[in-house]
Amino acid sequence: MGLLSKVIGAIISGAGAFILFYGMSDPNMSWVWFFIGLLVISIGFQMLTAGGKQKAPKPPPPTITEVKCDNPTCDFKEIRDFQKGDYVLKPLDAKCPKCGSKMTIQGVYIVKEEDEKDKINV
Amino acid sequence: MSSTQPNDFSWIINLLFFGFIMLFSLYGAKIQMWQWLNQIKMGLGELGRMADDSKQKAIDTFKEFGRGQDEVTKGIERWLDYFTIMPVDLDPAGVLRRLDHLLDERRDRFQEYVRELAPNANSSVDQNLENTLEVTQVLSLIFRVVRHYYILGKKTGSQLIIMQVQMQMPELLRMAKAYYDAIGAFSDGKPIGDGLGPLVISKFARQYGVSSEGYVQEIGREVGYYPVEAEGRTIYALRATGPGGTVGKPGFAVKTLVDQNKGEIARIITVDAALKLEGEETGRISEGTGAAIGDPGPEKHAIEETATENGIGIEAIVVKEDEAGAVGVMEKKVLDAVPEVIERIREVILKRTKPGDKIILAGIGNTIGIGI
Ligand SMILES: [Zn+2]
Repeated sequence: MGLLSKVIGAIISGAGAFILFYGMSDPNMSWVWFFIGLLVISIGFQMLTAGGKQKAPKPPPPTITEVKCDNPTCDFKEIRDFQKGDYVLKPLDAKCPKCGSKMTIQGVYIVKEEDEKDKINV
Repeated sequence: MSSTQPNDFSWIINLLFFGFIMLFSLYGAKIQMWQWLNQIKMGLGELGRMADDSKQKAIDTFKEFGRGQDEVTKGIERWLDYFTIMPVDLDPAGVLRRLDHLLDERRDRFQEYVRELAPNANSSVDQNLENTLEVTQVLSLIFRVVRHYYILGKKTGSQLIIMQVQMQMPELLRMAKAYYDAIGAFSDGKPIGDGLGPLVISKFARQYGVSSEGYVQEIGREVGYYPVEAEGRTIYALRATGPGGTVGKPGFAVKTLVDQNKGEIARIITVDAALKLEGEETGRISEGTGAAIGDPGPEKHAIEETATENGIGIEAIVVKEDEAGAVGVMEKKVLDAVPEVIERIREVILKRTKPGDKIILAGIGNTIGIGI
């Protein structure tokens, strides 16, 4: 829909410009052609510029739970989806699969990716 | 279309041309108003959708705790336009005390109401429900206010009213969107960006070997502290009690701690999330002087006054994020700032206090999803 309507819009705008330009050379009807040409161009431009603003809203990024082993010498870390009841610093019943120590939730977060197009660099 | 009748159409064209000019010079403003009203209507539709959705979400969340659909719906609808009347400031003496009293009262009413509507919920879930309800209230309020001005503008045709609403619409929609996206976080009990303060406190305490067992409950309303021994100093690391969603009353807790340790507190450090300016990096750490606490006034006043009276140095460390980040689920960039914040706190302690001093470290923010 997006690209097609833009192409059609461009064609219509071109046709409008054509009418505008060649209509002017007709001494009696130049006024009429002038208006018709303007009208056609504006319709074409409308099609060309429409739709650009309407982006489908992105679904929110998934919430991630980060679980770490309590043993300071062990570097076991698990990243999984958020489950209801999770909270930061919640001690878990599950034992570390690497060393058998207790584990704690160290973070619950989302990773927001910024759209490079939306970013304004100054 | 033949050139043999040169003037057949020219009068029509002339008429059209003048008609066109007349139309726009006489009715241009009307056309613009009509356009603006349509834009407001579209925005209003969006706001209404968000308000309805959030209400539905609140109903679904409350329903799980023991009351039926109809009862919950009725209850929430009744609560949507709960208001608080700000105290008179014509006579400013004691206005903060009065405001504090009203805010307490409001919180009591909220708690009572949530208990009534969700009898099977435990206290930490209660707090999350309170938060959910508050978000729903905000969205409903925005919708109702905009609707009021839309209808008023349409009725009176006042350009002033219509123009103002139309111009503020993008900002209103942005704000509403931030809250709308946040409601999932509140109803599921996920930590939000504003929870940075309490998170820093708990991680700081753990780093110096104080776990949740060492936490001293209830020094103020829904506020407690960890007594931490670090670098030869005693640090009272203070935060609201989670993991239910509450901001507690940390300001008054600071005052209580200062009173309990008369003359011994050397420094007050507050840690909070702060709104970033557009263009600034999320998760940037920034330092300053003063009490970083965004309450309506009484608590900030309590901290400032007790610090001034006792000549205690007061400083703030904040982490920057935008509004949507502050009320939405915590971003990784904010979480990643925590170790650096703790490092800066250590620096403050080493540089500006002496061994043997007592220090208050207050983490300000909403504790939803952040355990002690
Ligand atoms: Zn391990």
